Amino acid sequence: MTSSLSITSQSLADQSVVMLSVAGRLDANTVSQLERALMDAQLSGYRVIVIDLGELTYISSSGLRVLLAGRNNARKRGSTVMLCNLQPAVQEILEMVGFSAIFPIFASREQALAAALTLSDHEH
Amino acid sequence: MDVRETSLTIPAQIDQLNVASGFVRKIAEELGFSASDLHQIELAVYEACANIVQHAYAHQLNGQIHIMVRAEQGRRIVITLIDTGAAFDPRTIPAYDPQRVTEADTQVSGLGLFLIQRMMDDVCFESCVSDNRAGQSGRFNRLTLIKNL
Repeated sequence: MTSSLSITSQSLADQSVVMLSVAGRLDANTVSQLERALMDAQLSGYRVIVIDLGELTYISSSGLRVLLAGRNNARKRGSTVMLCNLQPAVQEILEMVGFSAIFPIFASREQALAAALTLSDHEH
Repeated sequence: MDVRETSLTIPAQIDQLNVASGFVRKIAEELGFSASDLHQIELAVYEACANIVQHAYAHQLNGQIHIMVRAEQGRRIVITLIDTGAAFDPRTIPAYDPQRVTEADTQVSGLGLFLIQRMMDDVCFESCVSDNRAGQSGRFNRLTLIKNL
């Protein structure tokens, strides 16, 4: 079994919101891709980073650590990381490790986007 | 009881972790575990092997991980991981507490071990010494993971 991960980045709402669509397996072999994407998003000045995990089939502890570090780094810069569209197996793990209490998590991409736009409007 | 035993040895390298977890997952699939259980077994094996690479073999190249799987039809899967790296006592790692994940925790410790313990029904770590016929003794670590059907 090989690791593969793809991340698609889409800028929305006049450069204030970015949607990162993550697909595949997020583990020790692939985690640097998400790390880089989160760093790029933060350096680009996005106020809200929405991570769509709809196509993420697997997450290991290294993936969880990068999500947490991304969320904490974003907070230091005054921005927010949201998660959406989780598959049941991934959601189960995020709940198990307590991430559901610290990340805004939305059932769908549309709901997350609506919340992101409201948040970015408030901050403007 | 129908019991089948299968084994695999992999180089203790990060890029081999999926080989180990995929090998065990396939056997678990044949035993009839649910999709959720399969994900948990796969993740527990991945995390256990990752700990071996990162801790037991932290200062050692060319280490190996021996994986033995005992498939007990209709009952459970027993996964035994053996390495000859440094003795690694999981109790020495600060425990991960999901209630205390705050922004101070950018370096989260114990997360892999926490996942292993939550995913499996039984987890047992032993640091062992074996004697061979030549009178030489060797040390090894044995981690046993059990998931009931």
